[in-house]
Amino acid sequence: MTTVTILPMQTPVRYAGFWAGAWRRFRRNFLAMYGIIFVTIIVIVAIFAPILAPYDPLETDVKNILAAPSLTHLMGTDAVGRDLLSRIVFGARPMLLVGIITQVISMLIGVPLGIIAGYAGGVFNYVVQRLVDFFSALPWYLLVLFLIMILTPSLTNLIIALTITSWVYPCRVSRGLTLSVREMDYAEAARALGIPTWRILINHILPQTAPLLLWSFATGIPTLVFAEAGMSFLGLGIRPPDPSWGQMLGTAGQFWQFFPHMFIFPSLMIILSILAFQGLADGLRTAIDVNVNV
Amino acid sequence: MLRHILRSLAGIVWVILLLSIFTFVLSRAVPGGPWDVGDIKFPLTEHQIDLYKAKYGLDKPILVQYLQWLRNAVTLDFGSPYLAPEMTVTGLIMKLLPYSALVGGLAAILALILGIILGAIAASKQNSLIDIIINSFAIIIGTIPGFVLGFLLAYYFGVKLHWFPTGGWQNEPKYLVLPVVAYGFPAVGGVARWTRQCMVEAMSADYVRTARSKGVRNMGVMARHVLRNAAIPMVTSFLPMIPGMMTGSMFIEKTFGIPGLGQYFVNSANTRDYPLIIGITIFWAVLITVTYLITDILYVLIDPRVRLEAKKQ
Repeated sequence: MTTVTILPMQTPVRYAGFWAGAWRRFRRNFLAMYGIIFVTIIVIVAIFAPILAPYDPLETDVKNILAAPSLTHLMGTDAVGRDLLSRIVFGARPMLLVGIITQVISMLIGVPLGIIAGYAGGVFNYVVQRLVDFFSALPWYLLVLFLIMILTPSLTNLIIALTITSWVYPCRVSRGLTLSVREMDYAEAARALGIPTWRILINHILPQTAPLLLWSFATGIPTLVFAEAGMSFLGLGIRPPDPSWGQMLGTAGQFWQFFPHMFIFPSLMIILSILAFQGLADGLRTAIDVNVNV
Repeated sequence: MLRHILRSLAGIVWVILLLSIFTFVLSRAVPGGPWDVGDIKFPLTEHQIDLYKAKYGLDKPILVQYLQWLRNAVTLDFGSPYLAPEMTVTGLIMKLLPYSALVGGLAAILALILGIILGAIAASKQNSLIDIIINSFAIIIGTIPGFVLGFLLAYYFGVKLHWFPTGGWQNEPKYLVLPVVAYGFPAVGGVARWTRQCMVEAMSADYVRTARSKGVRNMGVMARHVLRNAAIPMVTSFLPMIPGMMTGSMFIEKTFGIPGLGQYFVNSANTRDYPLIIGITIFWAVLITVTYLITDILYVLIDPRVRLEAKKQ
């Protein structure tokens, strides 16, 4: 006969799984929750920008130049009479494009390079390692500024320039992780069974690295959002008249002193979005217990 | 020790050489050149472009151009900017660097002093309310870009309160206050978090517990055991911050209209002024990598364990 004892429900003894545990830790983090809410909202705003924006972001209202915030222009207008709210709404697009697309491309380049270099070793590993050393020795803005100046400023060139500098970190993370996973028993067992290398990489190495890769994806975004705002601010990113928050600050000229709405709204948007992506990355770090030294 | 330094030196020579090849080849490989950037209504004719190329040596094979450039660069001669033939790139750097170095250097010092103090307080009062407040402050301030904070500070302290000028440059300390604060403050966040982490790690070591159990006073433990051991990872990441902030000052220079090197560099966008762009990029890279070398040497000097290992070998 088996006796059934009922455990108190408050303490679940069942291991809920890695991702469920991570989500529970993630939820407790205030900044991380702010991040996920803000990012969701901003993605919706960026997708539905043409519907949400009250005006065309390029349309000039010549009767209302440098108008203060009012009911017709909720955030006021700029020096040529363009509606600031509409420009803020459309400015979410380059921010997300640069932040997310650059990071996706960087991962697609960096992760395979890192995994193959870590698994195969040899000459390929050596070359990748030297390249990583080279890019890690210099701050990102140095190469990005140079590349933008040679390629001429535009959204596409900004993404290209940033990708050239930001594939390095995912590559380093995945290479370091592969080196340790490669020596584990199940990887060796798979090799002993004669499973082809590419299947070992995809079926055994990649899933092990997934949580860390998710984190390294998130952790690169705040810098990229900063880069988009900063480069556009310097006139090296999104070109006028297309709106970008950084560029709105850069082109505020001397007007901002007398018309504070011109810099307050773009400034707030830049700060809030970097904080949101940073909160997400920090939340993930504690949630999946990242402990990397690369 | 000597071998360690030589290895670091070889590392930075490699980085600079590779960067110079990378910048040189890329600048020549991208279609077009200094003669056809921006919105040009009257493009130069084929013949004019040939004359232009001949004048600046751009018609020679790229390897010849590169070796010529390298030979001059070793003697710190980066040529003259196309748009300012009366100056040299080296002269320009020497003239404009002091502004960037002053703003960046002071901002770095401000960030280090404030950050280390805050981080040390947070570490010594681990998991208390003060720790949580400092940590949240560090995270939030660390995400604000300096050039954005600059606008907010300039508006409040410049336009509203009239305490400081909102921008421009004269040789008076009051023109420095807002740029330095706006540039230095966001860096406080990172410094404070790293200081806290290093000190917490050092405090959890066995010898700290031993010292405490011997009855060494808290101040004594902190000064003799914790600080000295936490200093090693702190120095290696804080020292490179100083040239990092000197070279990354173009954003804050634009907010406040400081006539520094970064501002000049950015203003020559859309000109494809090869000698200027390559010269300043290489100069910045040298400044940064040389600091890594100094950090490497300091690391050996302050960490006795590294010396012991070297002796064993």
